[in-house]
Amino acid sequence: MASTPSALTMSAAERQRRLELRDLLNAKYKYIDRTWDVVFWVTAIFIVAGAADITKLLFAGDWDFWTDWKDAQWWPVITAFATIIIPSALQWIQWVAWRFPTGATYTCVCLFLASWIGRYFQWHVAETYPLNFVWPISTVPAAIILDWLLMKTRSFVLTSLIGGATWAFMVWAFNYIPLAPFLQPAVFMHHVMTVSDVQGIGYIRSQTPEYMRHIERGALRSFLGETQYVSLVFGGTMAVIGYWIGQFIGRYLAVWPIGRFIKTI
Amino acid sequence: MRLRFAAGLTAAVLIILCGARGAWAHGEAADEPFLKDLTVAFFNVHISPTVIKVGDPVTITGSLKILETWPYTLDPPATAYITPVVPGPVFVLADRTVNGEPDMGSIFVEKGGVYNFNMVMRGRNPGRWHVHPGIAIQGTGTLIGPGEWVTVEPSATPFRFDVSLLDGQKVNLEHYGGAFVWWWSLAGFIIGVIWMLYWTVPKRTVTRLAVTIQLPINDDAPDIGLITPRDHFWMSVLAGITVAMMVGGWVYMAAKFPVRLPQQTDRFEPVSAAPGVNLATVRGTGATYDEKTSTLILNTQIKNISDMPLTLTEYSMAMTTFVNGDAAAIAQAGPADYTGKLDVEPNTPIAPGETRAVKLTMSGDVFNDERLIPLHDPQQLIAGLVHFQGERRKYDLVTVKSVLIPTEFQPQYLP
Ligand SMILES: [Cu+2]
Repeated sequence: MASTPSALTMSAAERQRRLELRDLLNAKYKYIDRTWDVVFWVTAIFIVAGAADITKLLFAGDWDFWTDWKDAQWWPVITAFATIIIPSALQWIQWVAWRFPTGATYTCVCLFLASWIGRYFQWHVAETYPLNFVWPISTVPAAIILDWLLMKTRSFVLTSLIGGATWAFMVWAFNYIPLAPFLQPAVFMHHVMTVSDVQGIGYIRSQTPEYMRHIERGALRSFLGETQYVSLVFGGTMAVIGYWIGQFIGRYLAVWPIGRFIKTI
Repeated sequence: MRLRFAAGLTAAVLIILCGARGAWAHGEAADEPFLKDLTVAFFNVHISPTVIKVGDPVTITGSLKILETWPYTLDPPATAYITPVVPGPVFVLADRTVNGEPDMGSIFVEKGGVYNFNMVMRGRNPGRWHVHPGIAIQGTGTLIGPGEWVTVEPSATPFRFDVSLLDGQKVNLEHYGGAFVWWWSLAGFIIGVIWMLYWTVPKRTVTRLAVTIQLPINDDAPDIGLITPRDHFWMSVLAGITVAMMVGGWVYMAAKFPVRLPQQTDRFEPVSAAPGVNLATVRGTGATYDEKTSTLILNTQIKNISDMPLTLTEYSMAMTTFVNGDAAAIAQAGPADYTGKLDVEPNTPIAPGETRAVKLTMSGDVFNDERLIPLHDPQQLIAGLVHFQGERRKYDLVTVKSVLIPTEFQPQYLP
């Protein structure tokens, strides 16, 4: 924050340079200006959505497919980690290139579209699973807060530390609200179970047998039965790690070829 | 180089096409023969009725034994899940028992265990569906039993999956809670879209890049106009709306659904339904398979260790059952595509204490269709279950394993 020079401490030359930069920012270009923006923002939707979706599938696979996998112990940890990676990478790219606090929101808006289109056409229309069983989580609100934090702190370290924990909490809380109806107790097959369990048994998954589910099983240390809050703390830590994996991708893997290109010209 | 690429591409397409053809019947033919023969034998499977309307029940009953010949190359069987094998949720599972006990989830199993299952499904999607029972075993995959075609006809009323909640409310799982998920998620998405439009529509990326590359990374340059106080204000408004929406949603959720149960898990060990007393021992002394006539001959050495004469009634292997009896008895044994006639030589009851060489002969397209015979595999072995019937309703199921020698070995798929 000290690095934004105030008018008082700036030298005359520095002040002059910043005025020139201001003119540069407001300069008008005839052709590439808006056309480039439209082409870029639209084509990037597919690439970013694809990257985010693959990363989520890779790490969080079934946790994001079925309501009966969205448990108190593993779901908050796995999804927080899996979903922050690409938003973090895009935060780096869009902040460094344009000072846009939009990388996370952009990624999550794209992912939202891709997830719902995938669930609707592939899982609901083609496979005929009811959407209320296979709905995707939404990370958009968490992304808004993550971008807001970057804008306010202008620091990737602070964003990772505060933002990682906030991310884990926001992703979980925002999606736990619509999950609540599916955690209502019901009686099915002579057992008390949640509505989501009934969905998991009823809507047959021949190739995803029940034992593949990683859900809270209960243990001696039950933390008064409130496993999820312990998981959220752990999920926050995992999200910080995920954030830095994303930073690595953003800083070295994604931008590196562009840097090479710029150096050549 | 180009030719090799073309050849490789053609081969890849062919493999995918062949794979897809195999997958038509649930992919069971894709598994190696030993994986099916040496692991589990299904018998006495009945799937009925075979024509129903949407919403009506279909019952799958039957038995399976986890064979003592379980291949050492697989993890030993411990945790399993008995399930209908159908193409997606075209049916819903309404009830399931294993050895008479209600079974909501996975079970613990053991080698030699016999499990009688009863599953009731209700037709959901109109169509003609191939229905099998199956057992998924952790570390191995889903092994499937014999199948039957079931026709689900449309019904005037749409399908419902009603479940009673503990508070007495009855809900239809076809739609329950779905609208809330969608509108809630969409509301959050719209805030995100506004956020993006705020930045991307009025602000140009090209000119910003020219400026940012000349500034330190944590300089947002309000004086130059990269991120202005106005931007800060509106972004804080959007972030505030997001937080307010979360808090409001949480308060509503907590008031409307004060009870939220964790997902349930329960696994139990069904008491094996294996007949308690052994009546006979069976040793496989060699088997041959003739591909031209699809005929399997299994030579055995049988010893009656009981005090009553025994009749060899059936031989079950993987999802097939061959019956030593007339057409009516064969029809009784299971789905027609997976049953056949068993010739037993000599076909007379085995006296108590007697040891006898018995030759079992059976043939059927099912051997090839389901790829049950090892013709080109690292384990040239078959295994199955020999059924014996004694007096006073006593019976035994004895596992037999034998080396298999085909009349001709299959050539390689690829040269
Ligand atoms: Cu089939």
